[in-house]
Amino acid sequence: MFLKDLCEINGASGNEDRVRSYIQEQLKSPEEPGQVDVLGNLFFEKKGNGTSDKTILLMAHTDEVGLMVTNIQDDGLLAVSPIGGVDPRVLLGKRVWVGENNLPGVIGYKAIHLQKEDFKTLPDWDKVRVDIGAQKKEEAQKSVNLGDYVHFYSPFEEYENRYVGKALDDRAGCALLMALYRELPVLNHRVVFAFVVQEEIGLRGSGSTLKRYKPDAAIVVEGTTAGDNPELKRERWSTHLDNGPAISYLQSGYALDYRLFEAIVAFANQKGILYQLKGRTVGGTDGTRLASTYFGVPCAGVNIPSRYIHSPVSVISKKDFENTKQFIADILTEEILLKALEVKV
Amino acid sequence: MKELIKKLTQVSAPSGRERKVHLAILEELEGFIDGYRFDNVSNLIVWKNGNGENKKNFIFDGHADEIGVVITNIDEKGFLRIDPVGGVNPLMLLGTLLNFDDVTGIVSYEGETDEDAKKSLTQPSYDYLFVDIGATSREDAQKKVHIGQFGSYLSPFVDMDPMLVSKSMDDRIACAIVVQAIKETQNPYHNIYGIFSVQEEVGILGAKVAAYDIHADIAIAVDVTGHTDTPKGNKRMDLQLGKGPAIKIKDKASISDESVVRLLTKCAKANQIPFQYEVLIYGGTNAHGYQLTGAGIKSGTLSIPCRYVHSPHEMVHLEDVKNAVRLLNAVALKSDW
Repeated sequence: MFLKDLCEINGASGNEDRVRSYIQEQLKSPEEPGQVDVLGNLFFEKKGNGTSDKTILLMAHTDEVGLMVTNIQDDGLLAVSPIGGVDPRVLLGKRVWVGENNLPGVIGYKAIHLQKEDFKTLPDWDKVRVDIGAQKKEEAQKSVNLGDYVHFYSPFEEYENRYVGKALDDRAGCALLMALYRELPVLNHRVVFAFVVQEEIGLRGSGSTLKRYKPDAAIVVEGTTAGDNPELKRERWSTHLDNGPAISYLQSGYALDYRLFEAIVAFANQKGILYQLKGRTVGGTDGTRLASTYFGVPCAGVNIPSRYIHSPVSVISKKDFENTKQFIADILTEEILLKALEVKV
Repeated sequence: MKELIKKLTQVSAPSGRERKVHLAILEELEGFIDGYRFDNVSNLIVWKNGNGENKKNFIFDGHADEIGVVITNIDEKGFLRIDPVGGVNPLMLLGTLLNFDDVTGIVSYEGETDEDAKKSLTQPSYDYLFVDIGATSREDAQKKVHIGQFGSYLSPFVDMDPMLVSKSMDDRIACAIVVQAIKETQNPYHNIYGIFSVQEEVGILGAKVAAYDIHADIAIAVDVTGHTDTPKGNKRMDLQLGKGPAIKIKDKASISDESVVRLLTKCAKANQIPFQYEVLIYGGTNAHGYQLTGAGIKSGTLSIPCRYVHSPHEMVHLEDVKNAVRLLNAVALKSDW
């Protein structure tokens, strides 16, 4: 299964090679081997049947959040720094993989017996250490280098209704694009499937896509925040699992193209498709970069609700995954985006 | 000019939803321009051809969007939750009316206990705010508004001659200035591109695209700036209403190109147009986008000192506005720069 494989591959921002290779291996054919650009973005192209010269871009990012070794201490413990947005609280008591060879390690914390009220304060990055069992610096240096990536150790699991794993943001998007690439028939227009790098550290990878393909519109597919946890009040939930694809309208740095947003919502209503509107506007996606770079590409955001993202245990709904995939397939097949952009303002 | 300012400021068009103000601008400019188009991200670009022998391409930019809010949730009793569109301090919303495409909302705050209510008031946050549109249930509310609908302040245009007050002087005052300058400039020497850009307030988005698109020699962003002429105003800066439009030297997002500062200064002096210089210790304008994109455009900002920026009631001085129009006219007509 694409999703299981993708989630279990390690690939924090800047270290996406294995994710990219996997996707390329799975999708390549003699006719379309896939293209890799200078930044490490991977593209697969599904040509149109010749009746339209338009291009729709589908985008998901291949990177995940993680850590990087910043110091090897005299006592053999590793100091780390986050790659992308990581809450240090989700790290305590977790297993990790260190470096290219997946050296196992743990991020521990002193036992509760030895604490007074430590749990009332936040662990900060000065206190987070990776323990690989080395007794001293020289020993650790045999297997670890400064700059080694550290990834969450988190085997993928399938529940009756759920997928559980690390990096569902945005391997869920990658898996969805892979499935669509395989399943979509040839359409009138071209569809470009972009698997891009370095989203989590500031939307760095996606911009180079634009000159290569000059897309007319794009859909960015993210495993997006759910936040339907009991500790958040309902009015401030972002999305809810099992309620279908989450359509966004505003995010950090970009109000998603109103023509596309309105057209997608109208289409879903008309077809009776289960969907939800995202309840929060925080956080950015590659859509911000696509809309603000070069000639600017109108973007829509259609997302898979994911609980606990940026942690070792994110959760999505099987139904949402399927529904989101089908929804995007329908949007493409019925040319909803292109029709929306044809309407004169 | 007051009528034009009133017309443009009173349109509700937050970032990403600029269509209404664009249409109002086009209505005003009919017969005064040589063409217009909308680009990929819906920037409105109008142009007026110059007839000078060594004409250059000039951008006069006023961003069309305003700050606002967006509906993120509708509860079972019909109350709305909102998030900001651009920099809206929740403190500014308390006791304010909002406008969602002609549906009016009142902003108020939660408080199950005295302590909670106090928290809502002393540490205002979107977590504790809600909007009441007079709906009796979720179903009732959904007949009037929807999640993902953008809204803006509902606040009047007030003529306090010589001061003018309204919502969204930021940046409709610039839209009005650019519109008026284009109307008044007969036979410009230079090619003038009026860019009524989108999504400045959420991240200078439209200007970045326009900067790539238009091969301009110079870009002048027209925008509001701060003020220091109120009780205990910021003493590290000097910006006064009525002292003339402000030629920006620097803010937090851009340093105006020297040549643009010189050009504006020369034109102001040659035409006896009062002006002030501005060094703003915060903030940014579309000049940032024009400078940094593509090969870069020599850019600067012509500012209108404004009191209470990003509040429901933003105040400018009419003479500063008129003098900004005169200054842009002088720039468009000047043969060398």
